[in-house]
Amino acid sequence: MTDAFSKCHPAVNFLFFVGVIGTGVVIGHPAYLLAGIVTGAIYYLLLNGAKGLKMILGLLPLYIFLTAINPLLNTYGATPLFYLLGRPYTLEALLYGGTIASMFVAMLIWFGCYNKVLTSDKFTSLFGNLIPAISLLLVMVLRMVPNFIRKTQQIIGARKSIGKGAQKLQEGMTVLGALTSWALEGSVITGDSMRARGYGSAKRSSFVIYRMTVLDRLLVVIMAALMAFTILAASLGQMSAIFTPALDIAPVSWGVIPYTAYLLIPVALHIKEAISWHISRSRI
Amino acid sequence: MAHFQIQDLSFSYPTAKGKESLHHVNITIQKGEYVVLCGKSGSGKTTLLRQLKSVLAPHGKRSGEILFNGTPIEKVSQRDQSSKIGYVMQNPDDQIVTDKVWHELAFGLESLGCDQKTMRARVSEMACYFGIADWFHKDVATLSGGQKQLLNLASIMAMQPEVLILDEPTSQLDPIAASDFLNTVRKINIELGTTVIITEHRLEDIFPYADRAIVMDAGRVIADDTPRNIGKLLYAQKNDMFAAMPTPVRVFYGAEGAGNCPLTVREGRNWLSNAYSDPKVKALPAEVLEDEVANPALSLKELWFRYEKDSPDVLRGVSAEVPNGSLYAIVGGNGAGKSTTLKAICGICKPYRGKVKVFGKPIEKYKSAELFCGCLAMLPQDPKSLFVKKTVREDLAEMTKDEKKIAEIAAICEIEGLLDSHPYDLSGGEQQRSALAKVLLTEPKLLLLDEPTKGIDSFFKEKLAAILCKLKEQGITVVMVSHDVEFCAKYADMVSMFFDGQILTTDTPRRFFGNNSFYTTAANRMSRHVFSMAVTAEDVIELCGRNRE
Repeated sequence: MTDAFSKCHPAVNFLFFVGVIGTGVVIGHPAYLLAGIVTGAIYYLLLNGAKGLKMILGLLPLYIFLTAINPLLNTYGATPLFYLLGRPYTLEALLYGGTIASMFVAMLIWFGCYNKVLTSDKFTSLFGNLIPAISLLLVMVLRMVPNFIRKTQQIIGARKSIGKGAQKLQEGMTVLGALTSWALEGSVITGDSMRARGYGSAKRSSFVIYRMTVLDRLLVVIMAALMAFTILAASLGQMSAIFTPALDIAPVSWGVIPYTAYLLIPVALHIKEAISWHISRSRI
Repeated sequence: MAHFQIQDLSFSYPTAKGKESLHHVNITIQKGEYVVLCGKSGSGKTTLLRQLKSVLAPHGKRSGEILFNGTPIEKVSQRDQSSKIGYVMQNPDDQIVTDKVWHELAFGLESLGCDQKTMRARVSEMACYFGIADWFHKDVATLSGGQKQLLNLASIMAMQPEVLILDEPTSQLDPIAASDFLNTVRKINIELGTTVIITEHRLEDIFPYADRAIVMDAGRVIADDTPRNIGKLLYAQKNDMFAAMPTPVRVFYGAEGAGNCPLTVREGRNWLSNAYSDPKVKALPAEVLEDEVANPALSLKELWFRYEKDSPDVLRGVSAEVPNGSLYAIVGGNGAGKSTTLKAICGICKPYRGKVKVFGKPIEKYKSAELFCGCLAMLPQDPKSLFVKKTVREDLAEMTKDEKKIAEIAAICEIEGLLDSHPYDLSGGEQQRSALAKVLLTEPKLLLLDEPTKGIDSFFKEKLAAILCKLKEQGITVVMVSHDVEFCAKYADMVSMFFDGQILTTDTPRRFFGNNSFYTTAANRMSRHVFSMAVTAEDVIELCGRNRE
């Protein structure tokens, strides 16, 4: 992967996403939500390329569905648009539905980015020092899952080639049984291999492959500053948005600037690196 | 001072009812030595090796003593044992604990509680020494078997052990990855002076470089000498293990050679040029090759296949015709698509173009029940994937209720004595034969074998060959995919070369291997300057014999 933000220290990645998701689930102001969705979508596209577009467009029906369904359940609001089975379908409820849907969609997109950036090994290396035993367990589970899938396919294939596998249910049980004994056998060897390499003979330390660079420290400072301004803006009531019984949404003010800037950090890094790479290449 | 001193060691497993797995073993291993431990499966090699590291030693009754650097092994702390005695096991996959290459390299150091600085230095050092730097950040799941085993070795070497114990480390690898691995082990021994104790089936690659070979049989040490003398000794004793000796050794004694026994192909060539400088008989009569295959058991026409829509083609126009009642071998490099071809024949993979005909009938025309009952069956690469029950007998009973038939097939595969064992308790060769028995219960007329000789020793290979011959006599056609050039040269009727997603050449083994100069058997490489088309040790011995008359 050539994304610049992904190459930063996992702690920076993690802090950033904590900030994004923490604010994302609290702020219900349309301008901020729009900023969240747009910046998230841009970063998602940068990470995934053209394939990402499909997933983002795929969220559209979900967005419409979530928006449209809220007024059916929630009839509060002063401006009825029409009546459905005797119940009012109100504008306010519709807008509120749109807000909830935006939050949901924004979180889905940002979690998509999170998955791509904060891979399992980064996550475990981040928390490995705090809880070594659990992080090792997590790593082993992560390794086991694809292993099991592969072995299952192997068993099914092997049984198919001797003409077994017609009765689906019974066959499933048989395969599961075979997989279990195979896995147990494997885990005995893994256990031996761990003990042979001194597992349990001393207090475990944890190898950290990532280092804090100057850029990482700088990013932490910038993120903290932008987040402080965002929180200040929020405390001044700039992000209040009330939908029912009557619409009362705060006017868009300066608070949206630090918030958007915060969300744009990965995109900005990505573009900065692309440009500096372009320049250094054109010099050659 | 001796590195390991094994004094009068006897051992029996609790379930063995007093039968000893090791019987008064006395071995001394000096610092920096490269020692090969050989013997048939079940002769106690693994049991002995595991005694050398307390955490791996199996439970049981033990007498005698093992001294490590002069201290009894039980008195050496677990920490010292972990770092000083490295142990590599057979299965490359199950030994790996973590999901990333870099993490696996650091695993041992983490366990010992090393600090960051030491770990960084050791890990980077090892990654460079083993050429792992390129795949340092990869997921272990994406590595090949050879890379995985190399990673296991590197991860142990990062702890800077004094002794390296390897228990059949290459049995699951293809020949090229195996010799790579063994070369690395040899490099460690020569460059770092690490003591190496290794068990191996593939003696060709290590015998010439070993300082000492120890032969075990039924828990006893029956020979302990230099490799050159071992060959002589085993030949004189008419021991079964002689079949496992490198080809030059077998040819030398088989042809009643005199003087110093050759160990490598190079020495073998020199010996042959001196002894048979101007042979009267240069070649054995060539096999007859039939151009047209009448009623082929299996015919493949232009098969194309890829696993995913965007991935490259694995099969790129595979065509072949397999004569009825023959043993047909497909050889070729790793990942060339050999196993995929077999999967395509049984319909596990569906080629997007081309035709598979089994006994003249396109495979899609068969109903699944009809095809796999009494017609076609495949033995997968890993026999374990066929075992689903608690005993071999139950596993066989899954295929048929007919006890007489089970007894009959068990007799053919020589597993009568193993029927009540758990399949996982059997050795590699025994598992292979039990799985084969299970496959044979479908009464196939066309049998597909995927790497049948993988991980089994030369003694079991001969047994397998005998079974295949019996099957051939019953009119069963066998198609096998293999890396094992020697086995194919000796037993196949036809050999095909698989390369770049297609079958490039097909010929009888003598012509096929006789015309190759790299991809051929050791016997051919050793004798090609004197004799032509001699591809097995038996061929060369026979030719030598005829010239001596």
